[in-house]
Amino acid sequence: MGSSAKKKKEKKKDFQKPKLKVGKAKPKAANSTDTSFKAKSIALKQQSLSTNAPTVEAQCAHHLALLSHKSETQRRESLAYLTTAISTNPPGLPLPQPSSVIIPTVQRLILDGSNGVRQQLLKLFQSLPKADIPSHTDQLLLHTRAGMTHLATDIRIFALDVLEWLLEAAGDDVVSCAGGWVKTLKCFLSLLGWQNDATSKWSAVKSAGKAGGDSKLQVKQMNTLAAFLKVGLIPSQVVVPVEAGTTFPLWHTEQHMLSKRSNPYAHLNLFGPPRDEESEMYEDREDRQRVFHDRAEAAIVAGLEQALKGGGELGRAAAQLRRVVKEGMADYHGEDLEELSTQ
Amino acid sequence: MKRKVGALEKVDADLTNLQYKARRDPPSYEEDFRRQYSQYEALRDLLLTNPSSSADTGVVRFTELVDFIAHLAESYPNITAKFPDDLIHILSYHAELESDLRDKIVSALVLLRNNHVIDSSTLLNTLIPILVVTPSKSLRALLFQKIVSDLRSANSKATQHRLNRTIQTVLFNLLTSDRETTKGLWSVKITREMWKRQIWTDAKAVDIMKEACLSDNEKVITGGVRFFLGGDREREEAADESSDEEGVDLNKLRHQAGINKKGKKERELKRAAATVKRKERKKNAPHPLNFSALHLLHDPQGFAETLFSRHVQNSKSKLSLNAKLAILNLVSRLVGLHKLTVMSLYSYLLKYLTPRQASVTSFLAILAQATHDLVPPDVLEPLIQKIANEFVSEASASEVAAAGLNAIREICSRQPLAMNDVLLQDLVQYRKSKDKGVQMAARGLLSLYREVGAELLKKRDRGKDATISLRAGEMKERRYGEAAIGQIEGIDLLEKWKEEERRKKREAAGLPPDAAIDEEEHAADDWKNWEVGSDDDSDSSGGWIDVEQDGDDINISDSEDGKEPPPKKAKLSSETPGPTDDAEKENKEAEAKKISKLLTSTILTPADLKQLKALQESSAIRSQMPSSKRAALLAARHTDDAITAETIEAAGLLSKKTSKEEKIAMAKADRDDKHQSTTAKRKEKKMSEGKSTTNKEKARKKNFLMTLGKAKGKNKRSLVDVRKSLRGHVERQKKGGRRGNRG
Repeated sequence: MGSSAKKKKEKKKDFQKPKLKVGKAKPKAANSTDTSFKAKSIALKQQSLSTNAPTVEAQCAHHLALLSHKSETQRRESLAYLTTAISTNPPGLPLPQPSSVIIPTVQRLILDGSNGVRQQLLKLFQSLPKADIPSHTDQLLLHTRAGMTHLATDIRIFALDVLEWLLEAAGDDVVSCAGGWVKTLKCFLSLLGWQNDATSKWSAVKSAGKAGGDSKLQVKQMNTLAAFLKVGLIPSQVVVPVEAGTTFPLWHTEQHMLSKRSNPYAHLNLFGPPRDEESEMYEDREDRQRVFHDRAEAAIVAGLEQALKGGGELGRAAAQLRRVVKEGMADYHGEDLEELSTQ
Repeated sequence: MKRKVGALEKVDADLTNLQYKARRDPPSYEEDFRRQYSQYEALRDLLLTNPSSSADTGVVRFTELVDFIAHLAESYPNITAKFPDDLIHILSYHAELESDLRDKIVSALVLLRNNHVIDSSTLLNTLIPILVVTPSKSLRALLFQKIVSDLRSANSKATQHRLNRTIQTVLFNLLTSDRETTKGLWSVKITREMWKRQIWTDAKAVDIMKEACLSDNEKVITGGVRFFLGGDREREEAADESSDEEGVDLNKLRHQAGINKKGKKERELKRAAATVKRKERKKNAPHPLNFSALHLLHDPQGFAETLFSRHVQNSKSKLSLNAKLAILNLVSRLVGLHKLTVMSLYSYLLKYLTPRQASVTSFLAILAQATHDLVPPDVLEPLIQKIANEFVSEASASEVAAAGLNAIREICSRQPLAMNDVLLQDLVQYRKSKDKGVQMAARGLLSLYREVGAELLKKRDRGKDATISLRAGEMKERRYGEAAIGQIEGIDLLEKWKEEERRKKREAAGLPPDAAIDEEEHAADDWKNWEVGSDDDSDSSGGWIDVEQDGDDINISDSEDGKEPPPKKAKLSSETPGPTDDAEKENKEAEAKKISKLLTSTILTPADLKQLKALQESSAIRSQMPSSKRAALLAARHTDDAITAETIEAAGLLSKKTSKEEKIAMAKADRDDKHQSTTAKRKEKKMSEGKSTTNKEKARKKNFLMTLGKAKGKNKRSLVDVRKSLRGHVERQKKGGRRGNRG
């Protein structure tokens, strides 16, 4: 090997010393890398050189930007900062950043992989003023539903937490926003494994354990579903006292006033894509009852029976849920009977 | 954002695993699939609120879900009924979507189509509009590839006429709806690809291209024109390539499978066997009849006229010279091929015929191409005159003169009447030129006119053949518009052969050889061997050889019966090298009678035609003569073949002096740059594969200095020592090495 003159010469070539000459540029090394580059423009981010500390607003904006940081600790810290900033905000003053900025940025963290981040997120949600929630319900609900169907069990549980908070904060909006009623119901049904299709085969065993994860999760799901149905089906107890005397010449002033809700004409769907039955808005209780009766009631009743047989904590939750369903649908059946009797 | 997942949960989160399981047993995993589907729906709603957002939140990415559902949509048709529409809807936001997701959706749609969830026309009607409008280059490439491959796979088993028609209509409408922009280029591209792959071979595809040629955008126009000029050649090349590839040597494979490890080899073998079988079947299948695009064109006259008036003559059209040349080329091809009449073309070309014009040889080629024998000679005469004046003179450069002469020859070979005697005699003088290119070009013109119009030449230029045939009155100038009488070459040979056969059969049966011919019997015989089988083939050719051997016999019998001897060409050729005109003239009338008789009384069977072909090939008299060789060459040049600028320039190249380097390069062109012996190549291959060398090789390569000591010792030894060592060596050999291999 390597005996021929040619090979020797080749080998030698590698170790030859480059000749340096006076007045000539130094020859480049064989391994030198060209680091020059061309650019149409070079933008330098401005450095803030102010001596005074950044305002809370600026810091909040900064932390909002950090929410998409790849480190989960950083995300959690930023959320924590925002939470404290909101909760320490003196009442009466506006928030350091408006809710309409905060909510759209933080809502995708519902699906975040880290448990700590999610728990912190819930704290942040709870610290937000309740009046700001209704206008963002549909977006939040979308994320919540995505979380409820998520593969990871703890994200699913967390999404239920969020839904509970949401029901508490803006219950009416949750059940009446576009797609909020039917889609969420469907979501619950598929989570609990209560499908109302007639085609289900007898051999397909309803694997209660697998479909809902462990029973603890299922209990939580049922509780949340009960809360959801309660908001949607049972009329709120607060009845506006009609004071006939004070507003004597005016009747039904409420109807003629400007609505206090945000986006009061959303049900007209002026600018969105056409809606189907699932994504329709169901603002009336009667509507919701009808849809519930058509689509979900049979499945829920059947599922409840099975759960009741199971007993234990699961049975208790099921009983509670059944009570809610009965209460919510009591007058609906009555209507149905009335219709039947009139016919 | 990866998070740790527990073992049980991992099984759930593993979409690939779930997909695998669900594919094998859909009903059991319906619940799981439903859950994934609802997850997909939630994420889809999220995405639709803001399509530009990145959809990969959390553990599972939207793209993965789409992929998962697309793979299983076949198994759960009820759940996924709306899935394809969803994807199409999402894809309508293609401009804002993340490129990753966008590509995934496209491939998911293709997957759905391959699984027959959606049909081809839905897929193509989704993809084509996006292909046209999207600003993303990568998406365009992807879509184009998917569209073409889908059309191919749809047409792979049988031609899908309805699908093809709808897509062709879509492409056609794309062209007609927007004439100004480059959108139409996509229909050109798709159609060209389909044409190349022989999937679309009908007139509708040609119609699309015709529409493209008549569009207003330069790119689209050139795309269409290029298709007509080169699409068919491209198709032929593609067909050749595909037939060359995938040559599977089954024996070799079988051998390899025997040697190497077992396992999936068997499957491979089976696949290879299937390929071989398919190829065999393809080989036996009749060759598909493919007409060239120029022949499938509907109304070529109108097309040529519109092309010419809209793009070339129109002073408002702002096409570049190259584009105009391509269009002119197409127009002239059409004129030459279909013998169209576009009079304004010739007067248009007149002003471009000067040596200073850019790419003038292309113009000359176009003019030659646009000439055919139905062009009035008086239209062409000024053009030829101008070429002669501008190009062919002693003062002009030799290449220019050669090109001019060559162009004149090309024009005159198509319409000889366009030349007058004064000009021709003048041009022919250039054969005395010192320059070789000019010389050859002038000689070409001379030899052309010796064949087609010898009267125009001076007497001393006519040559022997032409003079003889002129005197005999055989050669007549063909008048304008006169067409040659059609006849089948070699039909006389066939008739003679038939007679021979019949005679032999009668002799074998013991009948008088020249009794009245029993027509019916004869006819019955013919119909019996209608088809030519493969074994029939050798028989018939053998039969022909018999004819030659029995040649004398025939003559004798003929003379006995007092008939005139039939012209036996094969015999003549063996006796006299040249044709004897007198003898031929004698036989002429009789021959003509015979031909008409054979052609009018019988129908030629395929067997007859085959025989005819064999007879033609073997009657080798005429093909010996140089003039007929040239004629054959001319005939071989198909009318479909184009004349290019290179044809015109060819003569000029002769006069160009090549430098030494060029000559060397030319001589070396067809050789490998580095010569290596087979052994050396093998050795190099071995080295590159990292294999070891033999001991012999090592010994040979050993450093010379290292061997010196041993060699020195060897020299000094006494004879006895040498003998001892040699003997020792022999013994060691017997024993099998130093250690020995026994015990």
